Amino acid sequence: MSDYIIEAENLIYTYPDGTQALKGINIKIPKGKKVAVLGSNGAGKSTLFLHCNGILKPQQGIVKYDGREVRYDRKSLLQLRKNVGIVFQDPDSQLFSASVYQEISFGPLNFGLSEETVRKRVEQAMSATEVAGLKDKPTHMLSYGQKKRVSIADILAMEPEVIICDEPTAWLDPKHAQQTVKLFDRINSSGTTIMMSTHDVDLAYSWADYIFVLSNGEVIGEGIPEQVFTNEILIKKADLEKPWLVQVSEVLLIKGCLPKAAVLPRNRERLFELIINHGTNVGEEEVINDFSDFRNNGRERDHISADLKGL
Amino acid sequence: MSGEGNKQQKKRYMLKIDSFAYANKLRNVHPAEKTAFALTTMLLCLIFSSVTLSAVIIILMAGVTVGLAGIPVKTYLRLMFLPFSFLLVGVITVAVSASAGDTVVGANAAEWLVKIKISKIALGITPEGLLAAARLFFKSLGTVSCLYFMSLTTPFVEIAMMMRKIKLPALFIELTEIIYRFIFVLLKTAEDIYTSQSSRWGYSSFKNSMNSLGCLTAALFVRSLHRSQELFTTLTARGYTGQLNVLAPQYPVSAANITLIIIVETFLVISAVLLEVNKFV
Ligand SMILES: Nc1ncnc2c1ncn2[C@@H]1O[C@H](COP(=O)(O)OP(=O)(O)OP(=O)(O)O)[C@@H](O)[C@H]1O
Ligand SMILES: [Mg+2]
Repeated sequence: MSDYIIEAENLIYTYPDGTQALKGINIKIPKGKKVAVLGSNGAGKSTLFLHCNGILKPQQGIVKYDGREVRYDRKSLLQLRKNVGIVFQDPDSQLFSASVYQEISFGPLNFGLSEETVRKRVEQAMSATEVAGLKDKPTHMLSYGQKKRVSIADILAMEPEVIICDEPTAWLDPKHAQQTVKLFDRINSSGTTIMMSTHDVDLAYSWADYIFVLSNGEVIGEGIPEQVFTNEILIKKADLEKPWLVQVSEVLLIKGCLPKAAVLPRNRERLFELIINHGTNVGEEEVINDFSDFRNNGRERDHISADLKGL
Repeated sequence: MSGEGNKQQKKRYMLKIDSFAYANKLRNVHPAEKTAFALTTMLLCLIFSSVTLSAVIIILMAGVTVGLAGIPVKTYLRLMFLPFSFLLVGVITVAVSASAGDTVVGANAAEWLVKIKISKIALGITPEGLLAAARLFFKSLGTVSCLYFMSLTTPFVEIAMMMRKIKLPALFIELTEIIYRFIFVLLKTAEDIYTSQSSRWGYSSFKNSMNSLGCLTAALFVRSLHRSQELFTTLTARGYTGQLNVLAPQYPVSAANITLIIIVETFLVISAVLLEVNKFV
């Protein structure tokens, strides 16, 4: 048993046309955590993911699952694919079946589960991703976002140990993007490791426990979100942007509206809390009371935003 | 341009049939019941060459498709007219007989209804020919109406499910299913490429059109190849080992429907036999 569910050591991969997609990648995915992989287009994220369940075989280097080196014989690969599920970037390349229900049943059926179990899993996956209403629809009649949700349900129904999502929130509307993130949180809380690639720095910052930054086939940085996003050089090198929370907090810090020693806030609520705490200078418990007051009291909030504008 | 319009229209019909299949009032009827109904009726229509029976079947199917399934009359009539041009050619060739002399070849009632003489050859219509033509016409239309009933009320997914039930080879079924899915993927891709080309003046002149069409065809070919590779990758990631196992949704079996189907079919068989025995057209 290892603390890391997936490890890649010195991974090198070149596509047949000569594109060097991975140039010696080293990553360790901590078990049971939420991991985000960032990097500009063509950085090698999707290629890396394809190595994680043995679709691509590294030309050099090794991949480890749960501390053991992955072997590439038929049986080991099937076992690996049962444990590591990938939701692909383009749902159109993943969905093959004529109807949503059949589509989702494909994965679990391959494991040789009983029909009853499969039906139960399909139902659960459909309700978790809110596609139950589409169950008899043919996949070609779905909107892009709906296809994306079905492709997530595909993998949920397989109940893997690790779920890898290639840009799960791209193309989703804000409501469903947030729902997907919440869904991942829920799955994660039951012990499943989640790994996702994303271009949404705000999401990565608020959501992830740990972040890897890829550029040009190499890992150029890693760490907890606060570390990664306060590293100016790294952000520049990876063509990333600072999350708005970090930007705002930094300005507030300079202007003296936040306590100097404060940990960077990871979400909106925490930021407000910090501001109020700093302004009124009261004890921890009262702050929480203040905060709930603040949420219930519209006038108070106007007051705060007026304060913010005045900066 | 008209070829273009025609193609667009055909495509639209195909999509229309597909969407009706998913949204009609008989959607929740067990596909086996619908298949049994359509296939037995079609079989009767094919076995018995009675014009009356065929006409009854056409009316019955129209009634069920429009009345029960709720397909708009206009759409239904349009669909029924689609095979017309093709059917007409067939019927005319059967109806017209030719002979070298004045007598009709191989006919006992050597009567011409209409006749044109071109040098030594007589062209014309005989009662036999007319009857055979009428039989063919009604029989074809009857069969077509059965097929339309099936495809307008039963989604392809369920037709495939029926094929599984009657134990057609798995490979055949999986192939048809993937082809069905890919038809739509390719249609969509072709449409997207076409739109993107025409919005950039790709079809503004004959020369441009030829060029664009060539590119579209090439792109479609390459993409379908690429798509199939991607599909293989994604299937493999989900534990594909050479068999596409999927679970079909469950449908309630209705005793009332089955009884109704049996009654209707029995009625059709009896009338067919009576018509045959009494030598009625
Ligand atoms: N099938 C392929 N054949 C050849 N080259 C490829 C193939 N797939 C990807 N590449 C190349 O490998 C590099 C890494 O691609 P990859 O898809 O892993 O990037 P990514 O980080 O997922 O990008 P994005 O954010 O755009 O999804 C790119 O330069 C790309 O052009
Ligand atoms: Mg990618």
